Amino acid sequence: MTREEIRAAVLRTLGEIAPEADPATLAPDVPFRDQLDLDSMDHLNFVIALHAALQVEIPEADYPRLATLDACVDYLAAAAPGRH
Amino acid sequence: MIWLAEENLRRPVPDRLLYGVLLIKAVALALRDVPELNAVWRGSEPVRSEAVHVGVAISLRGGGLVAPALHDTAGTSLGDLMRGFRDLVQRARSGGLRSSELSDPTITVTSLGEQGVESAFGIIFPPQVAIVGFGKIVERPWVVDGQVVARPVVTATLSADHRVSDGHRGGLFLAAVDRLLQEPGRL
Repeated sequence: MTREEIRAAVLRTLGEIAPEADPATLAPDVPFRDQLDLDSMDHLNFVIALHAALQVEIPEADYPRLATLDACVDYLAAAAPGRH
Repeated sequence: MIWLAEENLRRPVPDRLLYGVLLIKAVALALRDVPELNAVWRGSEPVRSEAVHVGVAISLRGGGLVAPALHDTAGTSLGDLMRGFRDLVQRARSGGLRSSELSDPTITVTSLGEQGVESAFGIIFPPQVAIVGFGKIVERPWVVDGQVVARPVVTATLSADHRVSDGHRGGLFLAAVDRLLQEPGRL
């Protein structure tokens, strides 16, 4: 899976959790929580959905590394088995 | 918080707990000490409920808030409560709640910590007689065994109907919540 595919998976997951999220206007380097109305339940659902979609184990301690779109792609590209 | 982090390390990703579910369970169990807060008005009489159905305040996308019930909160394990909580939030935000879930709560919990609020003073949802508010977790200097240490602290408040309880009983209730949260492994 390429970084672009991971990026698309992240945006698709985000869209399922926060339907108001517009990929075209989402700033990639600004925390999701500053752009979208996300709470801890949304964030947990985001992690669960990424885990299911990409088969990546995401320890709770790593949650801060999923704060922005760019950070998500970096983290998941490094964590996903046999990727990029 | 340490307990929760260690507990979540043991759990598969889909079964992880949120801090909020500990608060909900602690409130439900604390009602054993002060059961008159677990009641609803029927006409002019407050009627205690044997079962505890905690209503959880859930904000909706686009505005508004609902507080549906997590049924039998006191008798449900943390894992099952978390699954129920996730399901409730998902259905609340997609318009899939059942009417009974909106009418069944016997007490409500509201947590505004994620909005940056340190203390939340809730307004009772009639016909209930009490609501418990939680603020955000903040680090505060705390004295432990004569030493000042940094400790995560959360402020809990109780709004209760004085026709069924009083400040003394309310204090006992909040003390019970505090005691239960000090031993999350027993929740």
